[in-house]
Amino acid sequence: MASAKIVQLQSLKPDLHERAWVSIPHPNLPLIATAHGKNVTVFSLSTLSLHSVLADGHSRSVRSVSWKPNLPPHNLCLITGSFDSSAGVWRWANGGDEGDDDSADGLGRDMTRGPGNEDSAKTGDWDYNLVLEGHDSEVKGCAFSPSGAYLATCSRDKSIWIWEDIASAESEDDWETIAVLNEHEGDVKAVAWCPDVPGRNNVGQRYYSVDVLASASYDNTARIWREDSDGEWVCVAVLQGHQGTVWGVEWEPRPKNDEFPRLMTFSADGTIRVWTLEQGKDGTDADGSTIPQDRPGGIPSTMRRSFREQWNCTAVLPKVHDKDVYSVTWSADSGLVASTGSDGIVALYKEDSDVVSNFQSAPEDNAPNDSARSNHDGSTVSGPQWQLLTTVPNAHGPYEINHITWCKRHDAGSTRRGEEEMLVTTGDDGVVQSWQVDVKSP
Amino acid sequence: MAAAALDNANPTILSASQLPTRQKRSAPRNGPDCRYSDLIFAKPSYMSRPFLQDDDIRYQDDTAAAVAWSRFGAGSGAAAEVDLSAEPIDEQEIYDLISSITDPEHPVSLGQLSVVNLPDIHITPSPALGVPSPNTIVQVTVELTPTVTHCSLATVLGLGVRVRLEQVLPPNYRVEVICKENSHSQDDQVNKQLSDKERVAAALENDSLRSVLDKMLESCLEN
Repeated sequence: MASAKIVQLQSLKPDLHERAWVSIPHPNLPLIATAHGKNVTVFSLSTLSLHSVLADGHSRSVRSVSWKPNLPPHNLCLITGSFDSSAGVWRWANGGDEGDDDSADGLGRDMTRGPGNEDSAKTGDWDYNLVLEGHDSEVKGCAFSPSGAYLATCSRDKSIWIWEDIASAESEDDWETIAVLNEHEGDVKAVAWCPDVPGRNNVGQRYYSVDVLASASYDNTARIWREDSDGEWVCVAVLQGHQGTVWGVEWEPRPKNDEFPRLMTFSADGTIRVWTLEQGKDGTDADGSTIPQDRPGGIPSTMRRSFREQWNCTAVLPKVHDKDVYSVTWSADSGLVASTGSDGIVALYKEDSDVVSNFQSAPEDNAPNDSARSNHDGSTVSGPQWQLLTTVPNAHGPYEINHITWCKRHDAGSTRRGEEEMLVTTGDDGVVQSWQVDVKSP
Repeated sequence: MAAAALDNANPTILSASQLPTRQKRSAPRNGPDCRYSDLIFAKPSYMSRPFLQDDDIRYQDDTAAAVAWSRFGAGSGAAAEVDLSAEPIDEQEIYDLISSITDPEHPVSLGQLSVVNLPDIHITPSPALGVPSPNTIVQVTVELTPTVTHCSLATVLGLGVRVRLEQVLPPNYRVEVICKENSHSQDDQVNKQLSDKERVAAALENDSLRSVLDKMLESCLEN
């Protein structure tokens, strides 16, 4: 057994003194954006202090944020999803030449220095560029596809909207709705795009484009969505098994052996499930004919939906949380997974890689529930696939914790800045807390 | 509201003197809101955890936190007794906090309508075990008995109870409000909504719902 320790580092300053929902690290810059109240506070991960504030945009709480990836240097774009039924497009504009250093590090560090005092107001600030309107009720999640081409938003109105920015210049905004997905039977709580890894791009290309979207819902399911060759976005799989609201979905960031990324779902039922796409024996996608249980009758050729994907529940993580699991994060570097929820516990898990292949050869006719249960019994698997390494109770004192994420350390306390990872938790107490994780292998 | 629009035009109403209460005890009390002030305002242990790298910052924050926390006690006003934390919050205490909520349809309280009943309030771990530490998660479950089985206002009633308790209880108390089994035709839907933190948070930002809730809770502050 590996042993692990989670050590509290500094909290990010200032404390926000109200419920904070989520903190999302920038894909490559040392910045992290926290949604709280009607605002977003951006912290610098270099100084662990205030960088800037996005305020006066929404009339109700901001529930989610997403950074647009792959922007040219000196550009920042943040999307905010709000209970006011809209999503906001914010852009960071450099206010003038002053303070403009042509740093050659390519990271645009001048933008990331903060702090959000009057100095920084002179060197740049956030512009609220555009409101994306269309949802009928609270927007609960938003996420950019890996290339930045698409934005997905989801809402209590049970729909998911996919948007594309068709403006010719990066600084302009001209967004158009390319799909509205209506199949969930309850609030859509979260959306997440499959990461751009080799495994993603090897599978499913016969019928679908590369982008894969996952959604989580109040209807106790998660769903997988893809774009077919006619440009239609369709639901290719419904992941059933949770006994309560599915609060979110977390993709495997770096699968081994170029396999298709797996998906974790976490729920109000207190469990975390792992789902694996069933692939054909030749390692490519299973085509429609190899899924006999799915619509055996003649399917009209116009119904591209017939090419369903088969996703199986291949593991349930060791049970820690009694109540809602609000957030799970899966490290690209270490493969470690951390979870948190309404009980205020932070839990850390490690996958036992040796046993995985055994389990995947398990009989295919297992329903998701059964395969999950057989995992518990140990009847199908020789040992636990995932082990619980450690837990931290009361990580935010008595308060609920709404979000947890891995991110790179850039602060002076790190010996390997930009490489070493830490955890960041966000709670009802308005504290954004960083944690160091030490794992010693036996 | 016109009588014809009421879901239940003729509910059974108990008189206030029939309700279980401890509020008329001869022992001097300052009311439920201030009894736990020292618990609420106490510096919790997690704020003085080890491994802090910058104590100065932390101390400043304690002050800020205390200011922020004082919102919890705003309105209770009276100077707190010295030895307030000696008694744990028990079921009667919870009952006193919520039985005075006014029904949104009738000018009487949820206690008088028997929507909330003392035996339907459960606390885990039991208050008989003493005062829980500030970091011990205490589960408070309140089973509601809506006045009629199809009562469309069950969700609003439940929201009022949840909001009332979350306003006054310390942060380690988790409030669960559910409809008593078989008391309501859409139990599951109502229960699921009431336990969904995100939905509750969003509902409280809905102005019309907020004003209904404020009216229901007004009567709690008069005692």
